[in-house]
Order: sequence, then structure tokens, then C-alpha cells
Amino acid sequence: MNQSQNTKPAAALVIQGLRKIPLNAAILAPLVALILLFAVSSLASEYFLNTRNISNVLRQVSYTGIIAIGMTFVIIAGGIDLSVGSMVALVGVIVLYVVNAISDPVQAVILAMLAAIVAGSLFGLFNGLMVTRGRIAAFVVTLASMSIFRSLALYFTDAAEVSTRNPIFSNVGGGFFLSIPIPVWVFFGLAIVAHVLLFHTAYGRHVCAVGANPQVARYSGIRVKRIVLSTFVIAGLCVGLSAIMLTSRLNSVSPSDAGYFYELDAIAAVVIGGTALSGGRGTVWGTVIGALILGIINNMLNLTGVSPYLQGLVKGAVILLAVLLQYKRAA
Amino acid sequence: MTFSRLMKTAALTAALTGTAGLASADDYHIGVTVPSADHGWTAGLMWWAQQATDELSEKYPDVSFTVLSANSGTAQVSNVEDLMIRNLDALVILPYNPATLQSVISEAYEEGIYTVVVDRELEIPAQDVFLAGDNPGLGEQAARYIADELGGEGNILVLEGPPIPINSQRVDAFNRVMGEYSGINILASQNTDWNPQQALSVTEDLLGSNPQVDAIWAGDDDVLVAALQAIEENERDDIQLVVGGGGSQRVIEMIRDDHPMVKGTVTYPPNMIASAIALAVHGVKGERLGDMYHGIPSRVILAADLITADNVEAFYEPDAAY
Amino acid sequence: MREPILRLEGIGKAFGPVQVLEDISLSLVPGEVLGILGENGAGKSTLLKIVSGIYTPSAGTIHLDSEALSALDPITARRHGVAMIPQEFNLVSTLRVYENVFLGQELRRGGLLDHGAMRQRTRELLASLEVALDPDLPIERLSVAEKQMVEVARVLVNEARIVILDEPTTVLTDREVAVLFKVVRTLVARGVAVMFISHKLKEVKELCDRLLILRDGQQVELCEVGELSEEDMARKMVGRELSQVYPDKPPAAAHEASPALQVRGLSLKDVLYDIDLEVHRGEVLGLAGLVGAGRTEIAETIMGLRRRDGGALHIDGKAVDIRSPNEAHAHGLAYLSEDRQGKGLQLSFNVMQNITSLSLKRYVRGLIRHAAERRQAEHYQQRLSIKAANLGAPVSKLSGGNQQKVYFSKLLDIEPDILLLDEPTRGIDISAKQQIYQLIRELTEQGKAVIVISSELEEIIGMSDRVLVVREGRIAVELNGDDINEEQIMLYAAGARQHANCERVGT
Repeated sequence: MNQSQNTKPAAALVIQGLRKIPLNAAILAPLVALILLFAVSSLASEYFLNTRNISNVLRQVSYTGIIAIGMTFVIIAGGIDLSVGSMVALVGVIVLYVVNAISDPVQAVILAMLAAIVAGSLFGLFNGLMVTRGRIAAFVVTLASMSIFRSLALYFTDAAEVSTRNPIFSNVGGGFFLSIPIPVWVFFGLAIVAHVLLFHTAYGRHVCAVGANPQVARYSGIRVKRIVLSTFVIAGLCVGLSAIMLTSRLNSVSPSDAGYFYELDAIAAVVIGGTALSGGRGTVWGTVIGALILGIINNMLNLTGVSPYLQGLVKGAVILLAVLLQYKRAA
Repeated sequence: MTFSRLMKTAALTAALTGTAGLASADDYHIGVTVPSADHGWTAGLMWWAQQATDELSEKYPDVSFTVLSANSGTAQVSNVEDLMIRNLDALVILPYNPATLQSVISEAYEEGIYTVVVDRELEIPAQDVFLAGDNPGLGEQAARYIADELGGEGNILVLEGPPIPINSQRVDAFNRVMGEYSGINILASQNTDWNPQQALSVTEDLLGSNPQVDAIWAGDDDVLVAALQAIEENERDDIQLVVGGGGSQRVIEMIRDDHPMVKGTVTYPPNMIASAIALAVHGVKGERLGDMYHGIPSRVILAADLITADNVEAFYEPDAAY
Repeated sequence: MREPILRLEGIGKAFGPVQVLEDISLSLVPGEVLGILGENGAGKSTLLKIVSGIYTPSAGTIHLDSEALSALDPITARRHGVAMIPQEFNLVSTLRVYENVFLGQELRRGGLLDHGAMRQRTRELLASLEVALDPDLPIERLSVAEKQMVEVARVLVNEARIVILDEPTTVLTDREVAVLFKVVRTLVARGVAVMFISHKLKEVKELCDRLLILRDGQQVELCEVGELSEEDMARKMVGRELSQVYPDKPPAAAHEASPALQVRGLSLKDVLYDIDLEVHRGEVLGLAGLVGAGRTEIAETIMGLRRRDGGALHIDGKAVDIRSPNEAHAHGLAYLSEDRQGKGLQLSFNVMQNITSLSLKRYVRGLIRHAAERRQAEHYQQRLSIKAANLGAPVSKLSGGNQQKVYFSKLLDIEPDILLLDEPTRGIDISAKQQIYQLIRELTEQGKAVIVISSELEEIIGMSDRVLVVREGRIAVELNGDDINEEQIMLYAAGARQHANCERVGT
């Protein structure tokens, strides 16, 4: 039990060190949880710290992580987007169709990537318009569009998987740059951009204001509806990016399966990361940490070979623990 | 390393009911991944995978196993990636959906991992062994049996599975055979997703709109049970025959107990995963099967056997989960 | 004299170092109405919360039914028959009248709700109060006064013996007040003791038997109502002459001749009719009137928060079209809402973020310059003496007065020329009030034009150079000079007197 005793003072030291940095409890708690989880995982499996494993985990995390970053904006502005998982499937189908429709491989891939971003943004715009112009609750709108997007993806493909023989497509999501998988670059790059947008621009401040109290925001001259609309577009755009990474990694898309339950993983990542589901405050870094926590749990369970029946239990328990820890600290 | 050992042992005990604790001498590590148990057949699959790994790791102390399941194709991709980290010698996989898993299975195969693909075939072969049930055979056997029992005449309802290749293989073969019988009339053919709840409501709707039905073919035995419930609740006495597919113990018991409507089903056994694991054990060691003169065959198709009262005892396995 | 049902002995309450209530001693006998007078922040609501068990006193003893208690919790208080009718009603708007009356204490028969009995009992209760109200109506269809009656009925179900009414008349019309008073007298006749909180002197005079006056947490008077004139009450409440609270007004001609903001024929369907007003640089214009007269709507329509149906705006003589708060801000207008927590401040945001929420553009050079935000916040912290331990803490942790100062800073940070201040001192303590009055005067001295909307007559009288009285969506009168007094304002606000066309009265 030596090691478990050693980890405690070490973790305490880390906490102490972090206290000096002006971090708030909302981000500190998930960070502590991540560090603990990391420590436990590296003890539980000798394979965990393997570089290839770390790179695998990061890549596995990046698909839902990218979406969770978009979801962070929606949730901070007081909304929710349940349609992101289905949207991955529909955008994925569009990506594969474009890749297969154009004969020049390079052109095909570039156009497919553009198509994904445009399509994702448009689907997000649809959600956003329904919420702002249609005055329907975001939960209801996206519950409906979740069903619509999935159904369209199944209809266009007759529920069959679509794959491609394009020789370079799989290098996008399956490739490496400086021996780090490309989706991971995209994930962290996006996180930096999103962090700057949320914390360092007037737009980000307005997103928080709208989520905290839309009335106050309106009286302060903020165009509340436009901000809400924009968060859904951001979420859609992130789905577009994720769909490119996912489909190109797999070199195919399964309309029934792609993005399955991504909305729940994304929401879980956002919540673990300390963003209030009621909106008004949150951080991108928290979401990144939340996504990493979820990814490491999955990986650790697979590496240690915990009974497949029990994996859901462990995952759920860790989500509850992370959030509990956070409320304890916030209080 | 006491703490680490403790964690590991606890985890492995939960997973493999203790046998993997002897992992000290394992020369071969075999990873198994299957879709998670979301209906009867996949539950059977999981049961058989656990059963086979328990038995085989006892019998061969130099082999250890890790069994994982995934609730989606992309989750299964992660499963394979994670398994590959653990110095895998062989991979046994029933792919959730083949195209999604294509690239990661190819990666494993190209790394020299002995790969056994079960049930759902990859578009670009990337395996040492492919083992599957006979999907067209399942449809064919069911069709011949129903046609014979009805004397070549009657109205039939078909309860299909989800729109995936193995379902169309079964249904296409069924329709092809039925096409030979001019007296057979297929009233309707509808998707149940192999989900009992959905099957119940679909059957209710179909019975409502078709006053005279002679036989029902359900592509799956769980669907058959749901269809029976719909028939009983609607108090229909026109249906003479309900035929399933898969070979669940529950349906086999009905056949054994002379059920008035359930008199036959066709095997599509979930224990194919167990055989696949056994093949992987021998394949990865470079052994031959019994006295065979060849190595492990690269393609194994299990026959679709018709089960009736005549041969039911041979298929009865009371402990199995399916 | 009858045995007192409630006796307070030396009750005090401190929040940290701040003493909000000190050495309060009183007794209450069945069948009497005790009026409690005091300005906002005098400690009235703290006292109420102590009696109803929400706050624990930090000193003193509470005797309920001759049982001595050093602390009281809400459940014990309710068991002793203490019931409070709050300003904000605790009614479920989607449920029916009788369901609300019995909410939390539903009558059951055989485990199931006995709707019939509850309906019948509610009907009897309302009849005994001589209120004609259908027990089956959903709450959302009731008027404010009717909702209040539902609260009263609820109190009766509890067989309350001490009923606390917290400023019950602020939201009522005169006729509704009369009904309420009749109901209170009915309660008293049954032997209920009533604590009646108000800052309306006339009402206290009319309804109450005895009177407690609080000022800055101190008990300044406890006597029979008949012993004090209204003027005495006012003096004891405020504790100083009005001139001490309000800064001196400049001579009448101090402001510029041409208006900074001119409004002509402003109308809003079914709410405002043909509003004309103008305000000059260097001037405070008071907008007086009853709650619901349309004063807030005038401000919100000018600000573009409501789409006007007619009328024109001129700023410094130029016609402007304002359709959104943004455009209003761009034209030098700024609006302080009466609802500080609901419309004014982001409670979860910190001081800096709130102060810069209108002026954020100025702090952006590509990215927000957080250091510049902090410097500006520190500047306001000093200028308005905002007491905040940490500028990074959410403003929800500040006191009402400090919140209001942050809200003022938020407006000032866009350097507006014309300020529309809606209830600028609502719910804040007397010293913060005085500081805000001082600030308003400083602003007009700097040449800004200020409109003050207030329901506190003293505030209107003390601050305004000129007053417009609003009644039922119309300007009833403009008052100047010596005519700016309580009597004149009330006469026009309540509609006893009316000018055919808005005329200037006075000098």
C-alpha cells in the first residue's frame, strides 16, 4: 500500500501548488479528479503510461471532446443540444458522399471537409432558429432534431454503412503530426480558440451574460437571441469538425451508429468540467478536463478488463464523484 | 507493487472469475470484443464468450483472455485500440458494423495479430479466420419448413430484423424459396429491429390488418416470443405455425414441450463466438484442429440446422443465456 | 389588559460586524394591530424574520405563549400560530384557489385528496372575509389584491394567532386597501394579533392601535398611535430633517434652457397615452405616480426596450429613432431599472464584469484587457465607496446598497448624458441612499440630465427640481417650486384632481 500513501501527499502538494495560481474551484476540482484518476490508472495497468496508449486515449477523447467544446457554449448560454450525436451521423454521411462523388482525391477531401463544416453549421443554425424564432425550448427542439438528423442519415444510406476507397481520406483523422494524432491537434487547437473566445472577447462575456440572466442581458443592450443562435451554430460547427475526424479515422460512416450517445458524453464532459447546466458560467478547460476524465475511465476499464457488465457502473460513479467533489469545493 | 497488484487482481477477478489470476505464465494473450448485450442473441453471445474463455484458460494455462463489449461501432474501435496496447497475440471480434471497424481491424491484422472475425464480414478481408452462421441458409430452411407444413398454401407474415446485410441475406433467401410456391402468399414483411417490444407492437398491427394468417416467420427467436404474445392477446386461432431463427433455449423448450404453434426454428447459434475463440487459441499457437491435415480453415460457415421435435434434444443446453 | 401572546425582550441581530437590530422590546396582545414603521433598511424585515423564525436573534429572548425561547425556527413559529403574508406571494400560479389555500396541509379522506371538503372550507373562509372569490379559479387569473386574499385565507386555515403583513398595500389600489383593512379588522375581532408593516403614515394611523418606529436598527418609539401626528412619525422615522438627507437644490434657473431630451406624444398601446416630457442638462426631473401608473413603461419605451406605438424623441434638439437599448446607449441615454436583481445586475458575475457590461467595447483591443477592467472597477470602488472585499467575487454577495452602487457604476461607465433612474434607492440603507442622492446631484452639476422615478414621495420631493405626476398612462400634471409637496402629488397621482391638459402649476 506504499504507493497509495505516497499519492496522497503528492496530490495534496499539487492542490497546494495550484491554489497559488488564480484558478477557481470550478476548474480546480475536475483537475484534481483528473490527476487522481491518472495516478490510479497508471497504477492499475502497466500499459496505461505506454505512449501509444496515451496517444490512443487522446484520439478517442477528441471526437466527443470537440463536440463538448461546442456544447459548452450552448450550455453556458442557457441551452442544451441533444442533437449533436445524430448530427455527427448525418454530417458523416454527407462527408462520405462528397468524398466518393469527386474523382480527384485531394479535391474530394478538401471539399468534404468544407461540406462538413458548412453542413454542421447549417444544422446548428436550424436548431438555433427553432429556439430563438420558434420560441421552443432548446431541449424540445434538439430532441426533435436528434430524431430528424438520425432519420435522414438512415434514409440517405438505406441504413447501410458507407465507406470510401479514397487513398488519402483516412490520413486526415488517422494521421499523425509530430507523432501526435491529428484529431488531438484539432481538439486542443479548438480548445485554445474557444477559451480565448469565451474568456477574452466581448462575445464570450455576452454568452455568459445571456445564460446567467437573459433579462439583465437584454437590458444591457445585448442581442440575446442572436447570441443564443450563435451558440447553436458553434455547436454545429464543432460537430462538423468531429464528423470529419471520426469518419476519416474510420474511413467510413455507419448511419445508425456514428455519434451514438455522443450527446450524453459531451454533456457529461461539460458538467464534469464545472459548467453549470443552468447556464451562466463555465470554462472550456473544465470541459477539456471532463472529456479527458471520461476517456481515461473508458480506457482504464478496457485495459484492466473490468467486467463489461460493470463498466457502466464505474463510469457513472466517477461522473457522480467528480461532480460531488466540485460542489464540495464550490460550497 | 502491492497496490497495483491488488487493483489488478480485483479487476481481473471480477472479469474472469478468478482464472486470470494465474496470468503469470501466459504466453498468449487473446482479446475478445463483441457488441454489448442489448437483446437476447447478443446476451447469449456474451454468455458464450465468458463460458469459453473460462473453460479454455483453465485447460490451457499458457493462454489468457480479455473480454470487452461495446454499445456502438465507434466504442468498439476504442476497444480494439485499447486491446492492442496490451501486447495482444490474437483478436476475436464480432464487429458491431463492419465498415466502421474495417480500418482498426486491418491495423491489428497488419501488426501480425492473429485475427478472427465473426458473423459480419469485412469488405476488405483483414483476418486469419472468418467464422459465421449461414444467413441465407437460415432463411431457406425456414421457408422450406413453413411451406412443407402448410402444404404449399397459406398466408404468411414476415417479421424482419434491422436493415443490415445479414437480415437482407436471410429475407432474400426466404423470399426466393417462397417464390417457388404459388400457393404461398406473403401478406407483409416488416422491420422489428429484433427488439421484442417493437416486435409486439408490429405484430399486433399486422394481425389487426390481416384477418386470416396461417403462419408467421420471425427472423429471431426473441421476436417469435413477442409475436406469440400478440397472438394470444388477440385470441387468434387461425395461426397454425410460428417459426423463429437463432435457436434460443426458450424456443427449443417450446418445441420440446409440443407447443401448438411453435414447432420449429433454425439455428444461428451465438456459441459461434465460443468456437471462434477456440479457433484463435489453436491458430495463434500454429496448431491444427484434431487430426486435420490442414491448418485452421480460413473460412468457417456453421450450418443453419432446422430444429423440430425430432432432433430437439441435441440442441438443449439449459444453462445457456440464449 | 389581556395576557400578551408575544413578548420580545432586548432582541438584537448582527450579521458579522454589522448590527442591524438592537435591543428591541415589545409585547403583542390578542386583538390588537401593531404598526411597524421604518425606512428601508431600518430593520423591519429583520424583525419580521426573527418573529417568524427565519433568523435567529443574536441577543434577547422571545416569549411565545409565555414560553421563553432564545431562538425560534419556522416550524415552531408556525406551531405557535405565527403566520406571515409576504410581499412576494408564495402561491402556485397554475393551481386553483382552494388548492393553494390548502397547499402543504391538504385535507384527505381515505388517503386521497378530499377536493369537495377543501373547496367548501375555502368558500366558507372567503365568505367570512366577505370576499367574493370562486375557489376554483386558477391563481394566474386573479388580481394582486385577490391573491393577497388567498394568502389571508391560507393564514386562517392555519388558525394563525399572530399575522404579519409585510407592506401589504404597496401593490393595492385605494379600494383594495379598504377591503384589506376590513379583512384585517375581521381578523382582529376574532382575537388575532396583527403586525402591520408599512411606511405609509396614513395607513398606520388609520388601522393600527399601537406603533413601533425603527430607525437604523434601533427602537425609537413604541406608543399608542393617537399620541403621534404624522409629522412626528415622519421625523422619528427619518431621524433628521429632510434637508440633511437630500443635497441642496440649485436655484431654479441653473439648468440650460434647451432640453437635453424631449419626448413628444409617446404612446404604447393600452399603457401610455400621448406622453410629453422634457429634461434639461443640470436638472433632476421627478416622475411620480402610483405603482402601475406607467412610469417604468415611459422609461423603458424611451430606452427602446418596448416598441413605441407613436411619438418622437429629440436629443439635444435632434430627432432620434431608438429601437434597442444599444441605440439608446449610443445616444447617451442610460437606464437604471427598478428591478436591480432581475434586470440590472448579473448576480453571478463579479463587480468588474458587471461594471463593464455596457462599456465592454472600450476594454477590447482584440481581446478583453482584464487589467484595464480591474483598474476601472477600482476607480468606481473608490469614487462611490463600494464596500466589496474582493472585486472578483459575485455581486450577489454584496449588500443591496453596494449592489446599487455597482449598478450605478455600470451606467456611469458609458458616460451617459441623460440618466433614467427607476427607483434608484429601492431596498438600500439610509447612508447608501444619501450617497446616491449626493451622486445624482454631482451628475447634474456635471451637466447631465436626470429623470428620477420613485414611489417614495419624500425622495421625489427631496430630489426633484421639477415633477411630473403620471396617472393611468398619462401625465396628470407638472409641478414646480413649492407645489412639489406630498399633498399636491398625491392629489394628482390618485386622481382626485385633474388638469384637462397638463398645465404647469406653481412658479
